[in-house]
Amino acid sequence: MSQPATLEAHHHDGPGTDVFGFWIYILTDCVLFGSLFATFIVLNYPGAYGPQLKEFIQLPYVLTETFLLLGSNFTFGLAMMTFYKRKMAWSKLFLLLTIILGAGFVLMEINEFYHFVHEGYSWQVSGAASAFYGLVATHGLHVSVGLLWILVMIIQLSVTKNVRLNEKRMIMLGIFWNFLDIVWIFVFTTVYLQGAL
Amino acid sequence: MSNIDAPESDFGTGKKTFSVYLTGIVLCALLTMMPFYIVMHSVLSRTNTLFAIYGFAILQFFVQVICFLRLNSKTEQGRTNIMAFIFTVIILVVVVGGSLWIMWNLNSRMM
Amino acid sequence: MLKELILGNLSLEAIPLDEPIIVAAGVFMAIGMFVVLVGITAFKKWGCIWNEWVCSVDHKKIGIMYLILSGVMLLRGFSDALLMRSQQAIAADTSMGYLPPEHYDQIFTAHGVIMIFFVAMPFMIGLMNIAIPLQIGARDVAYPYLNSLSFWMTFVAAMLVNLSLVVGSFAATGWLAYPPLSGLKFSPGVGVDYYVWALQIGGVGTLLGGINFIATILKMRCPGMTLMKMPIFVWSVLCASILICLAFPILTVSLGLLELDRMMGMHFFTQLHGGNIMMYINLIWAWGHPEVYILILPAFGIFSEVVATFSRKRLFGYTTMVYAIGVITFLSFVVWLHHFFTMGASANVNAFFGIATMIIAIPTGVKVFNWLFTMYRGSIRLDTPMLWVVAFFTTFAIGGMTGVLMALPPVDFHTHNSLFNVAHFHNTIIGGVLFGYFAGFVYWFPKAFGFQLDERLGKISFGFWVSGFYFAFMPLYVLGLQGVMRRLVHYDNVAYQPYFIVAAFGAVLILIGVGFQILQIVYSVKHREKLRDKTGDAWNGRTYEWSISSPPPVYNFAKIPTANRIDEFWYEKEEKDPAHVHPNDTCFEDIHMPKNTSAGFFIAVFSGILGFAMIWQMWLPAIFGLVGVIFTVILRTFNNDTDYYIKADTVKQIELAHYKEMLS
Repeated sequence: MSQPATLEAHHHDGPGTDVFGFWIYILTDCVLFGSLFATFIVLNYPGAYGPQLKEFIQLPYVLTETFLLLGSNFTFGLAMMTFYKRKMAWSKLFLLLTIILGAGFVLMEINEFYHFVHEGYSWQVSGAASAFYGLVATHGLHVSVGLLWILVMIIQLSVTKNVRLNEKRMIMLGIFWNFLDIVWIFVFTTVYLQGAL
Repeated sequence: MSNIDAPESDFGTGKKTFSVYLTGIVLCALLTMMPFYIVMHSVLSRTNTLFAIYGFAILQFFVQVICFLRLNSKTEQGRTNIMAFIFTVIILVVVVGGSLWIMWNLNSRMM
Repeated sequence: MLKELILGNLSLEAIPLDEPIIVAAGVFMAIGMFVVLVGITAFKKWGCIWNEWVCSVDHKKIGIMYLILSGVMLLRGFSDALLMRSQQAIAADTSMGYLPPEHYDQIFTAHGVIMIFFVAMPFMIGLMNIAIPLQIGARDVAYPYLNSLSFWMTFVAAMLVNLSLVVGSFAATGWLAYPPLSGLKFSPGVGVDYYVWALQIGGVGTLLGGINFIATILKMRCPGMTLMKMPIFVWSVLCASILICLAFPILTVSLGLLELDRMMGMHFFTQLHGGNIMMYINLIWAWGHPEVYILILPAFGIFSEVVATFSRKRLFGYTTMVYAIGVITFLSFVVWLHHFFTMGASANVNAFFGIATMIIAIPTGVKVFNWLFTMYRGSIRLDTPMLWVVAFFTTFAIGGMTGVLMALPPVDFHTHNSLFNVAHFHNTIIGGVLFGYFAGFVYWFPKAFGFQLDERLGKISFGFWVSGFYFAFMPLYVLGLQGVMRRLVHYDNVAYQPYFIVAAFGAVLILIGVGFQILQIVYSVKHREKLRDKTGDAWNGRTYEWSISSPPPVYNFAKIPTANRIDEFWYEKEEKDPAHVHPNDTCFEDIHMPKNTSAGFFIAVFSGILGFAMIWQMWLPAIFGLVGVIFTVILRTFNNDTDYYIKADTVKQIELAHYKEMLS
């Protein structure tokens, strides 16, 4: 006697399990950033060798960067909400906007690094500088990977018709993108604001 | 293959409504501008500035977690997520805090 | 210009043709690989190997592959041990032995790296893979594709380490590669780069595995199996996986920053320019200590399973066992400074970590007593798995005690980096971790392969291993207390030599033990019909893996069980009449299974290309590897054909066949 596949009482919540696994990955990334923060604080103690970060920081510039990233967080939220309302064209538009704002953030950061290096604050000049680049660039790299992922997501929204699959992916991407903004809160506080004091 | 009749997945997050998002973004913008203002215009003493900027950071952290990530304790998955998160934070405090204590201790004994 | 971008620093001079021992090892490796490749071709097995194994997402097959990797790397790691023991037995006073110091340094480094990362970890993850889904009544792990990826990343990392033997050199810094020795100035060659890239690639695999098992255990238990009804092995693996997830990112950062120093001239851990060497040591041990608890917790879990099964008695003190595991998990993050008591911290700091280290011994003691109470008035069978447990009790107790001894900073000031320390950690790793994994291996072998391992050969190998261990390491305790340091290629005082000779003798005994283990496997394969496990319940077990055939069908359970109690299967056996329902009286359903995929394999291969290219600064191949990784990952996400159904009729046929065999 056989039955076609039905959802047995014990059916495991596939998408829910996948999102949970992704959440655990995010927690491991927290530990990764935590170690980078610890290294930054240790190597940037007052009186550390090398040029002071203070002399190079431009706070208005960092504020602009911060708003770009915060803005991209908001546009992603809009992409998520329009996705739930099945307004796919709007969702993709907001995702594109997220990429633009996020790319703006990354480009501003690269520009900042370029200027720092030319003014004498390269990653080779001191342990303090190395820690700065190590922490900030790791965050920037995560953002860049996120941008690629958003691009792929836009394509998947167009190509893959599986709604549950796309929902799961949007949720995971949203967690990732949000997490990067959360990490940035601590980066701008510890590296830039505290660094400027 | 899709299971349209599958039960709603428990993602451990709350409903994402526009009003919550808007509140969140406005709060975050404010909580960002204020610490920048305090530092840029040297409004407070150094110690008070440090308290202020970290205070704002922690506040904005909670705003983002509650309004954007929508972490909540209503569903079972939400509670699991929160527990995992709290444990991670505890370990972070121990490892990062412990590392800073150790390295500060070593540093002071080297000078 | 193009040649530089493609070949980087790689040249034929990288092959160390002037060092006979390395050439011999390389030739041996090549012959081994050649024999395997020719054999596969001759028996026309490439299709099967590719489709059924390389592309497999089945946790049972992945587990077996992990075990094979671990076994092969054990031979390499153990060869390093034999080289070291023989060198130290000879090189006293005027004799310099036969190994030059630069070579000896690579040997002890490779020995440590291989044993921890490519023997112990794969052994553990292999056993986890085979047993966990079966114990919780699941059909597979939560993320089968990631599982495959994890294995192949570990495999590629191991291959990088093996490659370093014949192309270039390996690190000569000790298994944790402390700067400044591991920095660019004092290790200008490729050795440390091989070390970093191999461990980073393997580390990704391990981290993904940790995430996989947490999700599997928390989300895929069968109905009725609440957390406090899971087998203790499952608890230990859950906590070990939590440790993996929280500790391995620290390793990633430590090694990553070291490599940034080396590749991009940064100053995280340099002596000058504001670097802080102690930060590396701090970070690497913040990972390193949880790592050893990652290794020991599953071993403790295996002991719980084996003791209960072979005492025919329910495990004593289930709740306290769970709490002990939890306490150990948390405390393992609070003790790491005890690895560098002597490196400059104040008395208060040392005292804090010393006390924490002593406290962590308490929950372990609780577990040992619970095992003993389980055995008390039990009906004990001293089959090979149980023998390993009994050996563990004494051996690990000694190792644990020497650990608590060294937890006192004043004592540690004498024993740090001495042979006493070396003896302690081998005592706990061999006596605790390895004996535990051996017990698990013999215990679950019938489940994985369908036939038992020969008992007699098992007992003989056990005898040689345990006696060999004591001969090899007890002299080291004595030498350590007399002041002999670790990693010595030569020593002046001839009075030490007898101890080293006894230690070498112990190593030879272990070699014989390993030989008998290999013989045991070969013999058992040859006589597998006679040793066949027909019922699937080879040891009269208590947990669900014993309720299905050996080896299990690809879907594990035709019907997912419902667990109402701890050791529910044991009570089912006692209470149900008849014990087994005839498949003709059972209602089967189509079973949903994940499809095999080559994506995991290819991502790992591209990662290996990236790693090798970065080591030798071959920029174009590096870009190729990186692009390959990203491309394969993205391509896989567009694959909609990732699962299939096994028809209910097929399931019924499989179950009927097993039922018939069970009754025969």
